[in-house]
Amino acid sequence: MTSVPLTLQDWRVWWPGQTRPDEPRLTGEENPAGKAVPAMLRRRLNLPGRAVSDMLDALDPEASRVLVHASRHGDGERTLQMLEALTDGQPVSPARFGLSVHNAILGVHSIASGNRRSQQALAASGSELAALFSEARGYLATGERSIVVAFSDAPVPSRFRGADTPEVELAAVAMRLGSDTGQVITDEPLAPTAAPCRAPQPVDVIRWLLGEAPLSCPARRLSWRLAP
Amino acid sequence: MSTPLEHELKQLIIETLELEDTTPEDIDPDAPLFVEGLGLDSIDALELGLALQKTYGIQLEAESEETRRHFESLRSLAALVEARRAD
Repeated sequence: MTSVPLTLQDWRVWWPGQTRPDEPRLTGEENPAGKAVPAMLRRRLNLPGRAVSDMLDALDPEASRVLVHASRHGDGERTLQMLEALTDGQPVSPARFGLSVHNAILGVHSIASGNRRSQQALAASGSELAALFSEARGYLATGERSIVVAFSDAPVPSRFRGADTPEVELAAVAMRLGSDTGQVITDEPLAPTAAPCRAPQPVDVIRWLLGEAPLSCPARRLSWRLAP
Repeated sequence: MSTPLEHELKQLIIETLELEDTTPEDIDPDAPLFVEGLGLDSIDALELGLALQKTYGIQLEAESEETRRHFESLRSLAALVEARRAD
């Protein structure tokens, strides 16, 4: 079986509190502006949503590309607030309900940008990046010239920690992927002797893009490389 | 000039609907609340209905023409609260 080549054409990352003076594609502000979305829509986006929307706008300014957004946990805070309201016999906030769904960020972004292409939201239990690359290859195989994928997550609310969830760092990353131009992304089996690593989070992808760390997915036993 | 109740309702709207860049002075009591004027949408209407229920004990029919009239402007909303709030 042949696999569609995957290339990285451009990227943006949001990593609160971080700066790299020579890297303009990294945004470290604590409160991303969300300027790509008008204020009346922006008020409904959480911080990762605002960051993702700005990055999608930067990577797809024509609002013409297929978009895929992954998040392992989604908006845990809003979901838990609703569950707690139900437990207390309180009515659920319609706005919170509407924005707690996994495709909320892409939904708001699509209204603001006018992008009417396919938009997909996914969660993959720690294999989000592998799933994004698989989806990208699928779209590219069906004739798309390039697509934009985003991956964001936020810390899981502490009152949910009993569910044995891993520590999650707040961050988001977006990449425009193609098949020809750009840096070639390859994957290879994770060596049996490789040091144990966690399921990749957005911050791990950011470190990989910055050339500061390797990137692996233990669940898929894969390791990714980015050609210089 | 807003009445104390109108000012209270402006605060309620701003806080409930998370209108980040809006101050009470920005809300014209006679301007439409929805679509034009303040520019609220259908989700805001549901959220506002819930806030009126929680704050003043007022229950509204979501689909009724009467509710539509009450939600026309801040002034009409204040008249509704004045008439129906459960003190």
